[in-house]
Amino acid sequence: MKGLWKTAFIDPLREFLGQVGAFMPHLLVMIVILTLGILSGWGIKSMIFRLLMAIKFDQFCGRMGLSQTLSKGGVRETPSHLVSRVVYWSIILIFLMFGLGALNLKPVDQFVTQVFSYLPHLLVAIVILIVGFLLANFFGRATLIAAVNAQVTQARLLARAVRLAIILFALAMAFEQLGIAKTVIVAAFSIIFGGVVLALAIAFGLGARDAAKEFIEQRLKRNQHQKEEDFSHL
Amino acid sequence: MLRDEVKSQLQSIGQADILVGIPSYNNARTIGRVVQAVSAGLAKYFPEARAVLVNSDGGSLDGTPQRVAEVGVDLQSILIAHRVNPLHKISTPYHGIPGKGSAFRMIFEIARALEVKACAVVDSDLRSITPEWIELLLRPILKEGYDYVAPYYLRHKYYGTITNSIVYPWTRALYGKRIRQPIGGEFGFTGELASYFLAMDVWGTDVARYGIDIWMTTTAISRGCKICQAYLGAKLHDPKDPAVDLPAMLAQVVGSTFSLMEEHVGIWQKVSGSEPVPLFGFQFEVGLEPVPVSVDRMLKAFELGLGEFIPLWDGVLSGEVLTDLKTMAPVAPEIKFPDDLWVRVIYDFALAAHRKAMNREHLLRSFTPLYLGRVASFILETQQCSHEAVEERIDALCRVFEKEKPYLVQQWNHPVNRGGHP
Repeated sequence: MKGLWKTAFIDPLREFLGQVGAFMPHLLVMIVILTLGILSGWGIKSMIFRLLMAIKFDQFCGRMGLSQTLSKGGVRETPSHLVSRVVYWSIILIFLMFGLGALNLKPVDQFVTQVFSYLPHLLVAIVILIVGFLLANFFGRATLIAAVNAQVTQARLLARAVRLAIILFALAMAFEQLGIAKTVIVAAFSIIFGGVVLALAIAFGLGARDAAKEFIEQRLKRNQHQKEEDFSHL
Repeated sequence: MLRDEVKSQLQSIGQADILVGIPSYNNARTIGRVVQAVSAGLAKYFPEARAVLVNSDGGSLDGTPQRVAEVGVDLQSILIAHRVNPLHKISTPYHGIPGKGSAFRMIFEIARALEVKACAVVDSDLRSITPEWIELLLRPILKEGYDYVAPYYLRHKYYGTITNSIVYPWTRALYGKRIRQPIGGEFGFTGELASYFLAMDVWGTDVARYGIDIWMTTTAISRGCKICQAYLGAKLHDPKDPAVDLPAMLAQVVGSTFSLMEEHVGIWQKVSGSEPVPLFGFQFEVGLEPVPVSVDRMLKAFELGLGEFIPLWDGVLSGEVLTDLKTMAPVAPEIKFPDDLWVRVIYDFALAAHRKAMNREHLLRSFTPLYLGRVASFILETQQCSHEAVEERIDALCRVFEKEKPYLVQQWNHPVNRGGHP
């Protein structure tokens, strides 16, 4: 009876406690790493925030039209807050990966290795998206201003098309970087882009023939008016 | 910077008293007459001076430099019998950014090399220039001790709208000098001032283009130069190229004005009110031909801008100005753009440029529809007005600029956040 008790209960319990005992330092290390991550994340976050404030990052984003887009999208935080928050969570994520690695569990180790090998792609994709977004805003606004000054009545539509094209391009590049459905993305992008160009060509040539004619006539008429006016602004 | 042939020409001339510069680009049709007027003016009024005429050309394809070289003046036909020093002519292409400012830079360079006492610059597309212009631009420098001579013209009431609605009132309110044509195109100045202009590091900016005139005038004021105006009569010139891009031209002039404001903040913030600037020359009346203008196109541009740019101006214009602009749409044929609203628009744009509220080029180019709206309003308002009445109207606008200046100073020193921008 005593032997049975030992075999059935005491030994497994001892083994379990041994495993727990062996695991506890790893867990402790993970908790320490996570605590360090939270502390350094918080410190770096506030440093980044101050740096961004010092270099007037919010004003820069205002100039590039990013602040307006964020507030339109319901984001109430300033770009400096947003970037420092992203940095904070990225640091937490990195430390979490380190912490999980410290647990020394095979499946977790494999997962961590995979995440770390994927991380550079993710970062590049994020950079591509941010740059793409900034460029889209910049060129979208430049198109709007140029088109309105040229008295193109569909100025807003034109500006939106430019903005959308740049965002689409950035998205396609980001997805390619992430390795998500590489061939599908490239093919879809080519089809959409080619399709849009073809549609415009057909619309201009056939469907919108009259509109195109009217547009060109207006341009010629305007030039003629300008010649006739002899008006000096300077 | 100077070409070898120019250097050797300068060596053979040695030193000169007077230099007259003519910037040009495809002006073969008019430059001959301008060169003749300059030559006659120098012979008639400064016969003993060692004078040089410099044509700084932007790569004309119509034979402008050749026209400068071949054209001469028959002194007997203008009743000049006295001994006249020969006039040296230099025609050279300029380098750098294509534009009037770069052309002037070359003229300043030659003026410095020749150590001239007085310089004058005149446009090459002038049709109304007379020899007297040269006397009026140079004599105050050589005989009266002035450093800078600005032109004073009679122009059609619809001409020079950038000057009348922005640059003149702005210069008067900010720097306190009533210089009626701060960007006139024809100026006289000392050789020393030419060297000072040349030494400034501005030749990669809008100053190299259309910003040169306002830059020269403002620099002369801020340097404390003794300034006067010369009454030149009517200013008539060849029609400008219709392809000239108004938004770009406006952005260059207004952008230069705003940049100068940053540079001379210590000067303009202390100025209140304005004082007249001496005017030389016999003042006479001139009949000016009517000018055909299409207000409809301006109104359409204004309306389109109002429809599309309001969200863009959210961080640029103050709340009241935005509200007032919104109430102007839809634009009726009898548009009225009040003076106080116009002044606040300009001041808000200047403040936005100072705050860097938006990309500078976008900011300045988004100003075009507002400018066209104001011009249309001015044209409609002054259709039946005489020249004197229009001048009085412009003077009233200047007084509003002066009255509202404390707002500009206050907002400059203590900016208030606008339109959800950080």
